[in-house]
Amino acid sequence: MTAAAPPPQTPQPFLTPGSEELNENGQARFADRKEAFWSGFRYASGAPAMVLFAGMLGFGAMAKTNNVDLWFTSLSTLLMFALPGQVVLLDMVLSGSSVVAIILAVTLTSTRFVTMTVTLFPQLHPRDRNRKLYASVHLLAMTAWAVSMREFQAIESKHRLHYYLGLGILCWAISFPATILGYLLAGFVPNWIALGLVFINPLFFLLTFTEVKTALNRLAIILGGILGPCFYLLDRDSSLLVTGVVAGTVAYFIDYQFLLRRFKDQS
Amino acid sequence: MMNTALQGWGIWLALAGACIGTYLCRAIGVLLSGKINQESPIFKWLSAVTYAMVAALTVRMIILPFGLLTTVPVYLRISLCVLCLAIMLSNPQKRLVPALLTGTLLMMTYGLIF
Repeated sequence: MTAAAPPPQTPQPFLTPGSEELNENGQARFADRKEAFWSGFRYASGAPAMVLFAGMLGFGAMAKTNNVDLWFTSLSTLLMFALPGQVVLLDMVLSGSSVVAIILAVTLTSTRFVTMTVTLFPQLHPRDRNRKLYASVHLLAMTAWAVSMREFQAIESKHRLHYYLGLGILCWAISFPATILGYLLAGFVPNWIALGLVFINPLFFLLTFTEVKTALNRLAIILGGILGPCFYLLDRDSSLLVTGVVAGTVAYFIDYQFLLRRFKDQS
Repeated sequence: MMNTALQGWGIWLALAGACIGTYLCRAIGVLLSGKINQESPIFKWLSAVTYAMVAALTVRMIILPFGLLTTVPVYLRISLCVLCLAIMLSNPQKRLVPALLTGTLLMMTYGLIF
């Protein structure tokens, strides 16, 4: 969820690297890996980079206006590279949560990377599926994932990794200077500009919720949005974790019951 | 604004833990890639928990913010968000950047006037 939310994704079976439709259909889209890399790089430099840049700028500004250390802020961008997790981290540090609660909450927001990786990497060429992926995976964020899921279908499997790398490297590379710039700007510019910058992130998250497709996740968002402030007023420290688990679980069971009933009706 | 309990080494420990936790999730993804079904109940539950957490955080950041945003009245913050949501929903595929710009610029305008 670092930048643009995923485009509508119709559930489709995995296209495995061995499947014929991928490797045998017509001419290749790219001549070589270098061209694939730069094509990904160029694509990323449009809207994805702009939104990500704004988000990271806002994150830096938010940290500065709350007097958080610059190194703390910029290192979180470089080493985490996951905006929702970073905002959770910053927010919980500010509200004075315990270290264990912070680590748990941030790790939970990052579990989406498991599903994202599991759906994306099987589409790579078998030759590329080696230990190096443990390094490449750090570049994976919502933007690169959403674009890759869409574009991979039109790219021959041997060039996919490099297309993804081009996308990911640019997104990662602009995030660090954007965070620092946001931090420095918020210190120098007048309050009215800083106000706009710190508003970017909550607004951005709110807007991306409109692109969430499944009923379960929509229900979870609504329940979380309602319960979140209530739990926060009860206990700041644990509110995010408790809200996530309670709202997520309730949403899951409502969705499950609904599916069950519909299944019964049909049979 | 910063809580005294987390001054000093505490926040660095939190940062280190957060980085490791985030990377671990990515690494587990690589390890499992191709071996696991993303439609399994545990993944559906995890994604619901994640969305609920991010939604709770977003709503809290708008209704009960820290720092600079507290200088803007709450009804104004909420109406700005509703306006941007309306712009976004008018064409979800294309209006992300316009909606984001509208909200940011209007917020700046408020800061400039008051």
